[in-house]
Amino acid sequence: MIKDITIGQYFPMNSPIHRLDPRTKLLFATVYIVMTFVSNNFVGLLFCFITACIVIAVSKIPVKTVLKGLRPILLIVIITSLLQIAYVKTGIVLVDVWRIKITSGGILMAVFMTVRIALLIVMSTMLTYTTSPTSLTNGLDRIFAPLKKIGIDFHTVTMIMTIALRFIPTLIEEVDKIMNAQKSRGANFDNGNIIKRAKALIPLFIPLLFNSIRRAYELANAMTCRCYNGGKGKTTMNALKMKKGDYFAVIISAAFVAGVILLNIYCGEYNAEFTFNAAV
Amino acid sequence: MSHLKTENLSYVYGEGTPFKITALDNVNIDLEKGELVAIIGHTGSGKSTLVQHLNGLLKPTEGKIFLDDENIWESKSKVYDTRFRVGLCFQYPEYQLFESTVYKDIAFGPTNMGLNEKEIDERVRSAAKYVGIPDGMLAKSPFDLSGGEKRRVAIAGVISMEPEVLILDEPTSGLDPRGREQILGLIKNYREKTGKTVIIVSHSMDDVARFATKVIVMNDSRVENSGTVDEIFENSSRLSEIGLSVPQITEIFIRLKKMGYPVSEKVYTVEQGHSELMRLFAERGIV
Repeated sequence: MIKDITIGQYFPMNSPIHRLDPRTKLLFATVYIVMTFVSNNFVGLLFCFITACIVIAVSKIPVKTVLKGLRPILLIVIITSLLQIAYVKTGIVLVDVWRIKITSGGILMAVFMTVRIALLIVMSTMLTYTTSPTSLTNGLDRIFAPLKKIGIDFHTVTMIMTIALRFIPTLIEEVDKIMNAQKSRGANFDNGNIIKRAKALIPLFIPLLFNSIRRAYELANAMTCRCYNGGKGKTTMNALKMKKGDYFAVIISAAFVAGVILLNIYCGEYNAEFTFNAAV
Repeated sequence: MSHLKTENLSYVYGEGTPFKITALDNVNIDLEKGELVAIIGHTGSGKSTLVQHLNGLLKPTEGKIFLDDENIWESKSKVYDTRFRVGLCFQYPEYQLFESTVYKDIAFGPTNMGLNEKEIDERVRSAAKYVGIPDGMLAKSPFDLSGGEKRRVAIAGVISMEPEVLILDEPTSGLDPRGREQILGLIKNYREKTGKTVIIVSHSMDDVARFATKVIVMNDSRVENSGTVDEIFENSSRLSEIGLSVPQITEIFIRLKKMGYPVSEKVYTVEQGHSELMRLFAERGIV
């Protein structure tokens, strides 16, 4: 269960996408996420889907690994779909039993939202899969550096993010270890009703919290010992530099935005309702 | 009769990812009742993975595990049952304490076993006694204890289930010499009093030589060798090849022999070393 959480994980490979500047990748991921929400029709969504496929293919990351990242959001997708089916009442009535009324519009809307959420998650996991945590925070650090002029020290934020990302695997490992230790004493995390299960987590969370606080103190001491004093006058060993591939990626991002907007204008009628009516 | 046995046990971590690791490769071990078994091997040799199979925490990729000739993976309830019959105490177990009092923490295992209050009370008190926790400490919060005390409370938490096989993964790591002696003493004492099987994963060859009745050497996910202390430490050159060593006292006697003294190299504990030296002194008329 806990090992399925892939958000924030890095998947080392040697691909053109891995070699891109983190800022370029951040730009593209942001643009992509915004555009999947801007897109209002099936053609546009198909365009986003194809783009995601190309990104995955170029990155050389196995499709299976990418899909694994979708597993934790399954519940969210199901709830969203049910809500869409329950509230959207357009199109042809398919089922009408007692108080339940399912319409074609509702189902198509549910499909539309599911694909949209899936694409969103896939692209954000692709960002962390192809960018190491250090390089990602380096990128963020540089992007938001100008904020210092208006008194916001973004370095602190990126340092917090670096530490958080750095400790995700450690925490996962620790959860695993404590779970195994308590299981060895007969703790049961998998069975029982919801209250029983929540109670079963106490032996897991108390040691986890205690150890995290202890670790935070240790890390703070270690950082102080190495003269960490915030971002003041800090330089980086590997300064980020935009290369040819990055400019190419920026152009592709712009083309992607233009593509989605054009598809919104010209194929706007291929929305959930229309597609079904046309099919019938 | 064989008590705990593995048959062609193999385990692979992270199948289907670039991080795929074979942690156990065709491991066959066979332990008898009442033995004190030491598992040695350098970091990453598969020791911890092996012991996590013995109480059913990890499901073997291939192979079987038998407790009293019954396959522990035969049914779901059997696996759950095995957790109580084979008690596993992890490395640094003090970081897994969670209850508000020492008493409640030791009682966690017996409570999960579904025992009644009277039995739980008896077990908690006798486990506390084994590990040398005075009655006054039972009402304290485990977070207020010292490192060594916490470690003993955690071990008591496993002993209180009265498992037929007690497994301790590096029980002395990170403790000072006195803490180590206490832990080793209580383990030895526990085995002698109850006659139960004890398995220790250890890095300390000195401790292994002093206590173990059987030694299993792990190397590169396989069982490299197994036998008595004498049989294992006889071959010091092979042990150092796989990143292990012989007890310090053995090293001293190997060196003495190289310097030309007529001593035996088969000295594995300080006591044996002492009598060997006395023998030499007597021979030369020094004492």
